[in-house]
Formats: sequence, C-alpha cells, structure tokens
Amino acid sequence: MKDDKVKIVASGGLIGVLAALLVKFGNPVNMGICVACFFRDIAGGLGLHRAAVVQYLRPEIPGFILGSFGMAKAKGEFKSRGGSSPLLRFILGFFLMVGALVFLGCPLRMILRLANGDLNALVGLFGYVAGIWIGIQFLKQGFTLGKSTKQAAVSGYTMPFVAIALLILLLTAPAFIFFSESGPGSMAAPVVLALGAGLAVGAVLQRTRLCTAGGIRDIMLIKDFHYLWGLIGIFIFALLGNLIFNFETFKIGFEGQPIAHNDHLWNFLGMALAGIAAVLLGGCPLRQSILAGEGDTDATVTIFGLMAGAAFAHNFGLAASPQGVGLNGKVAVVIGLVIVLSIGYGVLKATAEIKAKGGVGANV
Amino acid sequence: MKNYYCVLTFHTTHYALNTEKVLKERNVPVKLMPVPRQVSSSCGIAAEFPCEEKEKILLLCKEYHIEFDDVHQIEKDSKNNWFTKLISMNK
Repeated sequence: MKDDKVKIVASGGLIGVLAALLVKFGNPVNMGICVACFFRDIAGGLGLHRAAVVQYLRPEIPGFILGSFGMAKAKGEFKSRGGSSPLLRFILGFFLMVGALVFLGCPLRMILRLANGDLNALVGLFGYVAGIWIGIQFLKQGFTLGKSTKQAAVSGYTMPFVAIALLILLLTAPAFIFFSESGPGSMAAPVVLALGAGLAVGAVLQRTRLCTAGGIRDIMLIKDFHYLWGLIGIFIFALLGNLIFNFETFKIGFEGQPIAHNDHLWNFLGMALAGIAAVLLGGCPLRQSILAGEGDTDATVTIFGLMAGAAFAHNFGLAASPQGVGLNGKVAVVIGLVIVLSIGYGVLKATAEIKAKGGVGANV
Repeated sequence: MKNYYCVLTFHTTHYALNTEKVLKERNVPVKLMPVPRQVSSSCGIAAEFPCEEKEKILLLCKEYHIEFDDVHQIEKDSKNNWFTKLISMNK
C-alpha cells in the first residue's frame, strides 16, 4: 500500500517537473502541459479555427497517446472497446472544452497555474470541485453512459494513428498546416523534448491511471485518497520545478498572471462546467488521452468532441483572453451547464424507465 | 493477518454504490476503493470484501439485480503477484 502511494506521488511529480522544464525550454508560462490548450492549438494548427495566436501541432499530445499505446501494448492491456454513448461523450467533451477555455486551461493547467502562484486558479479549483460534486450527485442517482463492449481491433488504433499523422504533419509542415507566428502558439519547447516528455507522461500514466477528476471524485464519493496523492505530487513538484527553473515567472496573486484573467465568477463557472462534464465522462482530458491510446474508442470520440469544442470556442469568440470573458463566452457556459445537466437528467430518466419496465430496481 | 482480499468490479459506478448500500444494510463488511491496478487499467470503483463472504455476496448481488463484472482475489503484497495470477489461472 505504501508502495502504491510512492508510485502515484512520483507519477504526479514527473508531470510537475516536466511541465516546469517545458516552460523553461520554450512553452508558454504555466502551460508546460495543458491538455485542453494543446488540443485547442492542434485544432488551430489543422485550421479548424483561425485564431492566429493559438495554432501549433503540439507534440506533447501525440506523446501522451503513443506513450500510453506503447505501454499498453507492452503490458498486453491494449483493448479495443467502445459503444458507451459515443454521441453524449462527444457533446460532454465539447462543453468540457468550452468551460476549460473560459477558465483558460484544463484541470491540469489549473494545478500548474496554482503551483506558480496564480490565485485565479484557486477560484477555478473551487469551481471544479463544485462541478465534480454535482456530477457525483448524478452518479449516486444511477447515472451511467453504459458499459463499453469489445470492438474490432482496428477501431482501437484510431487515436494512435491520428497521433502519428499529427507528428508527420508537424515535421513535414505542409502549407495547409497553420503555425502561429506570435502569441502562445508560437512559444514551444523543441519538438524532441516535447515529444519525449509526452511519451514519458503517457507511459507512466497508463500504469498509474492518475486523473484530476477521478482524484477529487474518489475523495468525495468513496473517501479514497489514492489519486489525491498524485495531484499533490503534481502541485509540489511543479512548484519546486518553477522555483528552480522559472523563478522569474513565479508570482503570487490575482493580477497580471500569464494567460489568465481574474473574472472570478466565470473562472468558477467555467471550471464547474468542466468538472460536471469530466465526472459524467469518467475522466479529465488528460485521462481521456491516455485511455484513447490504450484502445478506448469512447475516449477517442470524447477527444474529437474536445477538438470540436475548441474550434467552435475560437470561431465563435467563446474562449476567454487575458482581458477577461466576453459575452459570447458567458452565454456559452450557461448553455453548456444547461446541456450538461440535461444530459444528466435525461440519462437518469431513461435508466429509471428501463428499470421500471424490467421490474428491476427494488434496490434503488 | 490475512494477506489477501477480494474485490468485485463493476461496469458502472452506480452498481458499485448499490453494492455498498445493500451489503452495509446486512452488516457485510465492504469498502469501496479504486479498482486495483493488477485487475484493470480502468479507473473505476471496486468493492473490497473478505473472501469468505464471497458466496453470500454473490447471492445478494443476484437477489438485488446488481450486475458486476468480475470477482478477483488480490494479494496484499504486490511483490507476490504470482499468487494472484495462479488463482486467476485456476478459475
């Protein structure tokens, strides 16, 4: 048991240190690793949105996927599976991304921001925890997206294949791929380093299953603190890493934080939306990337939802900027909350009806 | 001290929660936990219970229409993984 704790803290620590190093070597500040931002950059690089400052085929993402893929293959855990409400997962992924881009970061970046003194991330964390609490209420009532079933092996290779395609496009840089010339999208660690860090994180997380949503969910739902130790590991090692490698960027406060805004209400609500969606999906964007690498086609569909969400978020001006959250973003978060809650209620209602018809369910 | 325990794994979190509720009502010792890594690479919730309660618990699951995925016996010392493997081979 003690062994387990060391492993989970170490895997969080690896993420924290690598995130600090990636910033040192060129990634935007507090964005050493940000799964939402990176999928957004990839959507931009593919031209799915035209926000010129956030377009780059971030090699960390193919790294996560292929690292997980390689480890799963080596350990005989690669399994093609899916069929658990793919459409609902796409929609949940879509709005998870909208919430994250209003906050300006996925839950992992939230921890990294916190580890560099950005107190706005604390507001985001409260929102995330509130969202997870709401999601848990649905789980307790019987919410489920249904069990996944075995799929043809070929479908499980979708995401690893996409990852390789992205790497080829990055290295060959054909004219139809967009690369930011200024802004966060232009700031990047060298490809080899970014890909290497991604591969390491992907491989390790396939083993330890660390997930930001799962960690907080388990504390509240079953009083289990296993994954929380991993999250603490990310925080502490990112903090140490930042103090050692990026000391000039370390600053405690709400004002003037890099790629952040201090619109508290919308930081809170954005992450609350992300939290509900992540619990209903059973994992944060980072975890979805790992699952997609080991053959989970439901996670793959979720990722396509994340990318579609990112594309719309920039095309429709929903994403926040350091200046704050625009009207469109606020409306989108409210719509997102309504839709995500409707999915929750809709699934609960359907489950209840199935039980009533089948004469099952004296136990609930 | 016993150096092994049993877990039930589920297809959905809801059934895990139900199992805990039903078993606790009948004073069967049960504890929810993350699915042990040896069992699966998924990150769901499993129910831990003493192996000698297995028959009783499986009957209760049937009675209460709780769908579970599988029952596993877990060696507490992870270094002795061969034991778990042996058991699952003999199933």
